Amino acid sequence: MADAELKSKVEELIGANPVLLFMKGTPEEPRCGFSMRVVQVLDTLDVEYGAIDVLPALQPLREVTAEISDWQTFPQLYVNGELIGGADIVEEMFDSGELAEALGVEQPADTPQAAPAPAQSGPPGQSPPMQIE
Amino acid sequence: MIEAALPGAEVEVIDETGAGDHLRATVRAAQFEGLSRIDQHRLVKAAVKERFDDGQIHALSVKTEPSG
Repeated sequence: MADAELKSKVEELIGANPVLLFMKGTPEEPRCGFSMRVVQVLDTLDVEYGAIDVLPALQPLREVTAEISDWQTFPQLYVNGELIGGADIVEEMFDSGELAEALGVEQPADTPQAAPAPAQSGPPGQSPPMQIE
Repeated sequence: MIEAALPGAEVEVIDETGAGDHLRATVRAAQFEGLSRIDQHRLVKAAVKERFDDGQIHALSVKTEPSG
């Protein structure tokens, strides 16, 4: 049974942030490879998002998201109040261009797509993906 | 196990570490038609929940495709 107070707080956060990522660690310092992959996708798409580090309250947050979204592994990306998915789904939707569409941003021209696009040099405006050793 | 929950599904499971606890599954099922990816994954995860609960699987990476 999830903590009612925490649950309402999480629901509030999901409602208040059009793009919200529950992750292990922070965007600057992801503490899990899956969380890092989602951060890289969001950075590549250059979208603004809220990020919540779940590590300080991992188990209670698992219980809360299990009730809210029937999902208890992290990362979890919410867009407009809906759970989109974890790293696998986010990457798959990024590759297909569906994620950019859901977020209302343009798919960067210089990223590989599911159907290989002809090589072309887009404007070098995107920040490079984060490297974690 | 996935096949039992989703009759007719084509399932391919790769053991990523050789220890049998970190798996990658590709699932094609007619039942996925019309569902969002997250709902497709929910079906797969529900099917293998027991193995997570008893600790036999620690990580499962899932890729789903509707088959029509």
